[in-house]
Parts: sequence; C-alpha cells; structure tokens
Amino acid sequence: MFMYLPIALTSVNYMVVVGLGLAVGLLSGLFGVGGGFLMTPLLMMIGIPPTIAAATDANQIVAASASGTLAHWRLGNVDVKMGLYLLVGGFLGGAGGVHVIKILRATGGADFLIKMTYVIMLGVVGAFMFVESLNAMRKTKANAGKEPEAAPVKKSGGLLSKLPMQTVFEKSGVTHSAILPLALGTFVGVLAAIMGVGGGFLMVPVMIYLLRMPMHVVVGTSLFQIMFTCTEVTFLQSYSNHTVDFLLALLLLIGSVFGAQIGTILGRKLQGEQLKILLSIIVLAVTVKIVLELVMEPSLLLAYAGGH
Amino acid sequence: MLRIKVSMNGLVSLLAGILFVGMALSAVPAQALTCKVAPNEIPINLMYNGATLTVTGVSAPGDDLIVKVSSKTTDVHLKYKGKASGLFWMKMGNMEFKNVPNVYMLYSTGSINNLLDAEGRAANMIGYDAIRAGSEMERSDGVEVESKWFDEFLKFKKTEKLYSSQEGTIVRKQSAAGNEFSMQVAWPFQAPPATYTVDVYAVRDGKVVDQSSAPITVAQAGIVKQLSGMAFNNSAVYGVLAVIIAMVAGFAVGAVFKGGGSH
Repeated sequence: MFMYLPIALTSVNYMVVVGLGLAVGLLSGLFGVGGGFLMTPLLMMIGIPPTIAAATDANQIVAASASGTLAHWRLGNVDVKMGLYLLVGGFLGGAGGVHVIKILRATGGADFLIKMTYVIMLGVVGAFMFVESLNAMRKTKANAGKEPEAAPVKKSGGLLSKLPMQTVFEKSGVTHSAILPLALGTFVGVLAAIMGVGGGFLMVPVMIYLLRMPMHVVVGTSLFQIMFTCTEVTFLQSYSNHTVDFLLALLLLIGSVFGAQIGTILGRKLQGEQLKILLSIIVLAVTVKIVLELVMEPSLLLAYAGGH
Repeated sequence: MLRIKVSMNGLVSLLAGILFVGMALSAVPAQALTCKVAPNEIPINLMYNGATLTVTGVSAPGDDLIVKVSSKTTDVHLKYKGKASGLFWMKMGNMEFKNVPNVYMLYSTGSINNLLDAEGRAANMIGYDAIRAGSEMERSDGVEVESKWFDEFLKFKKTEKLYSSQEGTIVRKQSAAGNEFSMQVAWPFQAPPATYTVDVYAVRDGKVVDQSSAPITVAQAGIVKQLSGMAFNNSAVYGVLAVIIAMVAGFAVGAVFKGGGSH
C-alpha cells in the first residue's frame, strides 16, 4: 500500500493519495476550480514538503483540468475567446506577482503578506458568494411559477461600456471591452502568484460577478484557462526548482481525472446557485482553517524551509 | 655470580610485569565486542516504506551495551515560527543547528545515565545532552538563540522519526558463540540516502571498555533513482514529460467517459 516518492523523499499510502485526487478532482469538475487551495494543505498534512506539494499539485491539475475541459467542451461550456483574454492577462499578472514576491522576500515581508492575502481574499470571496447565492435562491423561490424571460446579451454598464475595444463573447452571451478580461486576468494573476495558487477560486467569482457570465460557461472556461496556467507552472517548477514529484502527480491524477468527470456529471444535476453556495461554503471552511492555524500556537515551532 | 643474581632479579621483575599486564588485561572484556547489521544496504525502491534492521554481535558477559545509529554531524537549516505583530503564528526566519547528526537513534540494555558517566557520554556523543553540548544554534537575524530552541529541535526530529532513544531494548542470550546480543531497528523512511554508522559500546563501571562499528548504506535504486536523476539532470525533459503525460491522461479519461452530450 506504500509508495516512495523520489522528489518528496517520503513514503505515502497510495490509496490515500488517489482518494485525495478523486475528491479534489470532483470539486474541480463541479466548480471549475483547480483545487490548489485545498490540495496543497491536504498534501502537507500527509507529510509532503510544502514546495513539492504546491508544484506537484499544479502538475495533477493539468490532468484534471484537461479532463474537465474536454467534458465541458462537449457540453458547449467553454468560451475560448474569453478564456484566451483571461489567460493572457493571467500570464502577465503572474509574472508581475512573482516579481513582487521576490522583492518582498528580500525585504522580509513576504510571509505576512501571503497569509493576509489568503485570508482576506478567501474570506471576502467566500462570504460574498454565499450571501449572493442565498439571495438569488430566495428570489428564484419567490419567482417560481412566473414565465422566464428570454436571456438578453448582457453588456457592461456605466464607465465600462465606454471603454474601447468592445467585443461580443457569444458563448457567454456578454459584451465587454477586451480590456476588461485582460485587466481582470492580470489582477487574478498577481494575486494567484502572491498566494502560490492557480487562482481558480478567484477567477470563478470574477467571471460570474464582474464579467456576468453564466455559471456553466464559467466552469468550462475556468478549467480551460487553468489547464494552460498549470502547464506553465509545472514546466517552470520542474525546470527551475526541481519540485515536481511526477510519481505523486501520477497518483493524484489517477483520482482527479475520474473525479473531474464525476464532478461534471454531478454539476449538470445541480442549479447554478446551488453550485455557487457549495463552493462558497468550501472556501469559507478553508478560510476558517487558515485563521485557526494563524491564531493557535502550532505543535511544532520549527519547520523545513519552503512553502507558506 | 653477581651477574646471575641480577638476571634472576630481572626475571622476577619480568614475571611480575607479565602478571601485572595480565591482571590489567582482565579489565578488558574476555570476549571482544563484535557488531553486525543485516541488511547493511537499504535500497530505496518504488515500494520502500522504511526497513527493519537487525543488529547482532557478541560481548563480554556482564558488560552493559549501548547502540548508537547515527549519521555524520552536519548543519541543519530550519525555519522557526513566531508571532507576527503579536497576533499570528507564522514562519519568521531561518535557524541553523550546527554540528548535529541528521539521524540519531539510541538503544541500550538499561538507563543510559546510570550505565555511563557524563564524561563518557560527552566523548562518544551518547544522549541528547551530549548532542546539545557539542552543537551551536544561530538565527538569520543575528539575535541570540535561547536554549529552549534545542528542545524544539529535538521535538521536531522526534516527530520526523529521525531521533529516538529506547532503553532496555537489547536482547541478550548465552550460546555456543558466547554472550550474544541482538536488537531490531525500525529504520524510518524519512532518513535520506547516506551512509550511516552503527556503534556498539560495551560499558562497565560507568566507562566505555570496548567499541565496535558497522556501516549502513541507504541509496536510491530502480525507478526512484532514474526519476530523481532525470528531475535534477534533465529537468527540461522531465518537465515536458510531466505535462504531456498529465494532459494525455486527462484527455484520455475525458474521451473514455464521453459523459457529455449536447447542451
């Protein structure tokens, strides 16, 4: 039942690792998030060093997101145009974020900023999604029985509609300036690089609330974009830091590719608002866990270098 | 005659000397201490989850035994945690523990502090206090490190299963070969590839009277060695392969499921 990981230099029960992959892959297919914000702490709990956990997680997310993207592609849920704009922004932001972290590490303020960004972003995103989804579900109940209106193409309002390069994103049924997804992609990229995560849990709310895309297209498009982001991260981490443990990634992806497919099927059976409220509960639970870890004295006051 | 008398005196002195040496030698064990480890080579292969080693040998009857399994001393770099802004626990900086073994396991026939005097423990680095005495601690910001951090270091190493101390775990029996001893070592998978040493000390009246050693070699083998070599020596190929295999696996499972349908 045990397998030795050549880069993590540790032995793990491979059934546990496959199980973790399955669980996080399920969330990936369900919500369109890579699951890095969940998987990395889970891997650390079973003894994987933090830097290896984060880098290897990116490798398995390539598999889970490829599996999920294909499933959503067949369902017509991938807005390639929007995904590419966000991707370009994400790459630019990611490069900028990495630079910010380098400067902060040199000045010694990095760890504090990373932890605080994590707590604030997760807390704000989780709480906002939870309240918003709850209100939307109440409204749906109140409007039950009424004739549904035909969904018009949504446009940016106010100042955003005056931005140049207005373009129609047909699959999502929205019209925005191309600058908007580029800028939002950059913003998420910066935060994702600072926090050391893929940024799916930030990108999903950005697509829903700021780009006003329908939930199911959000999930497919997010996975499409995550697949490319994690491909870049996997290669760079392997090449520069030697922190990708391929055997560990293989065990995780055996679980996650199946989990992503099951998640996609389950997602079709749930309403958009139900999906949002479930994701917000998971995000809030992770926030509470991080806050508790920050406030309570750890059992060990020494740790290996690397990670947050 | 006088010359013969002198020679007789010399002979007596010689005999007395031999007798004295013989008495002195009786303080040395009648049976030389031996030590053997099986297996003495541990291959880290795909299904590796640590190993069970057996240490055997013979010793003089009546001698107590202390067995030390350790790596060479080195400098261990760790991060220390503290309260940032007086509120949140997080990693604050680097802490270096100098001249400490990375792996240290101790076994004995009884309470080590009762078996061996402080001088003997310090000279042979036996016991955590001996490691503490021979080590130094340094913080990255130059602030003096309080002694409680060595206790934290021990706690960390014990949690990692790299440090342990078990008294009274050595089994002894009389056989045709003499006064045999044997014990088992649960070798932790956390111990990195390296050469380690098993030192057996025979102890009498608070002093070490004999010592025997044997090496243990821990090395990566098979696919573990190949993957590790590729990750560090051909990192670009490793990275590309990791991405391609992940993507192919993802698409392949996606294609097999065909759970889609039209929207």
